Amino acid sequence: MKTIYALAVITFKEGIRNRALFGVAFLALFLFGLNITVAGFFMRDIGKVTVDMNLSAISFAGLLLVFFVGVNLMGKDIDRKTIQLVLSKPLSRGQYVWGKYLGILFFVSVSLLLLLAFSTSTVLLVKLLYANYFIGFSFWLFWVAGFFVLLKLWVLSAIMIFFSSLTSNSLLALIFTLSSYVVGVSIEEVVYYLQTELAGQERMISDSLVSFVHVVSYFLPNLAVFDFTVEAAHGLPLSLERLILSFGYGVVYAVILLLLASFVFTRREFN
Amino acid sequence: MIEVEVRDVAKTYNPGLFKKNVRAVNGLSFKVNGGEVFGLIGPNGAGKSTTIRMVMGLVRPDVGRILFRGKELSGTSFRREIGYLPENPYLYDHLTLEELLFFAGRTSGMEKKEIRLRAEELVERLCLTDVHARPLRTFSKGMLQRAGICFALLHDPSTLILDEPMSGLDPVGRKMVFDLVMELKRQGKTIFFCSHILNDVERLCDRIGLLNKGCLVREFSRNELLQINDGLLFLETRILELVEIEQIEQLGGRVREFEGGHLVAIPTEEYFSLNRYFEQSGIPVKGGRSEWLSLEDLFVEIVQEQAR
Repeated sequence: MKTIYALAVITFKEGIRNRALFGVAFLALFLFGLNITVAGFFMRDIGKVTVDMNLSAISFAGLLLVFFVGVNLMGKDIDRKTIQLVLSKPLSRGQYVWGKYLGILFFVSVSLLLLLAFSTSTVLLVKLLYANYFIGFSFWLFWVAGFFVLLKLWVLSAIMIFFSSLTSNSLLALIFTLSSYVVGVSIEEVVYYLQTELAGQERMISDSLVSFVHVVSYFLPNLAVFDFTVEAAHGLPLSLERLILSFGYGVVYAVILLLLASFVFTRREFN
Repeated sequence: MIEVEVRDVAKTYNPGLFKKNVRAVNGLSFKVNGGEVFGLIGPNGAGKSTTIRMVMGLVRPDVGRILFRGKELSGTSFRREIGYLPENPYLYDHLTLEELLFFAGRTSGMEKKEIRLRAEELVERLCLTDVHARPLRTFSKGMLQRAGICFALLHDPSTLILDEPMSGLDPVGRKMVFDLVMELKRQGKTIFFCSHILNDVERLCDRIGLLNKGCLVREFSRNELLQINDGLLFLETRILELVEIEQIEQLGGRVREFEGGHLVAIPTEEYFSLNRYFEQSGIPVKGGRSEWLSLEDLFVEIVQEQAR
């Protein structure tokens, strides 16, 4: 555990000192500022738009962190052969995978918590300015939605680690992770669409394709389950069951991917 | 005791689709004894780095066995005894040397205080004290190489595996690393390294293996290399006629081509008779040399022979 922690710490430091982080932070701050400036244009929907914009900004900034900083934290090790130096120490390949993941997890979590703190201040400010339009709004819901954005990024980081364990090229790992994200956020809608009668009326879809999508949907990440933006924006009640299921799904999916990544990594060679 | 043993190892790489496989190492066998310095030399692409990576368990051999202290490489505990420096080490850009060494110590099971003391000692020894708190991305190539050596030595391993340890170092840095390796040798550490700087290999190694096209073509000890030059004087002359060469050989000398002329090896007891012959035949002596065959000469000779 000491070994995993030591690797996680240097991964975290390597990530948090990356200059790209400043760019992402500025972009997020710009979006929060923009929110304050334009909030007044939306009349009765100010509360909903504010929550929606803030959560979207957090999610977007988080995605940039995973895609541009996170990918390099493991990919560069393999690309630049730093891994040869790291694995020369009494550290198993499985420990390497878990250590890297934990480091990325710390990095993403700390960055997102900071963004969430800024975002909370933004929402608070807008709420003070337009108190009448925040009926039904609850900070608890807002933070829950923010936490599930973080959980989505944890799962995405596990996907990125998995692809980094398969390829020596960090660009390929980035492309695969990005594709998984795009598929992940839309797969639920695709499956739902194929299940409705509307699909058959609009276009002929072969049964084999429907079956294929159905099977594949079990393997692909369903990132839509982590989206609580609508509930937070409209102040809708959240069922504990859905929260537990989404949390459990995310954790189990990430753990399975990391176990697979460890398995693949143990068999890899580092020329 | 045998520290590292490589037995009939072969390794082929697949460079990618539609490309021919590359055989990097082919039936390689050698042993590194405890407390000795073993150097692996060879031209580019000879398979030196692949061999070292196989010994470190980073690459698996297709066939053959690699043993560390008589046991197969398995698990991670054997790495506690090994310090490894890869060729041109790439270190983490945003970390400081202090943090990197702390990581090296923690992963090797050292305590915080022990790490601090050892790191201070090594950093001072390799003249990195002024920069130890600076991010590694600001280090020069030579400084990174020395930082890599600190990383390898931090847990005080009994065996050192170094891939081109002198690469990228300026003369001062080279001397620093050379002295350090000599000190480690005196401490009884086992050192296995490969290098292109034959002068250093010649001075440091107890035994040398010459690798070419993935095969060990020659293995010799430092003493064998010294014996080639033992009890002889070496004189450089102009190009000699065949008759002159025969006469010199009859008088006990040896002749070989050397830099546009000939080099004559003269046993010390035959010096006067051969000197007299040079005078009588009007053969001018252009200069003297300290050795008949340097490691570099031997290296070039063997590699060229293999190419034919």
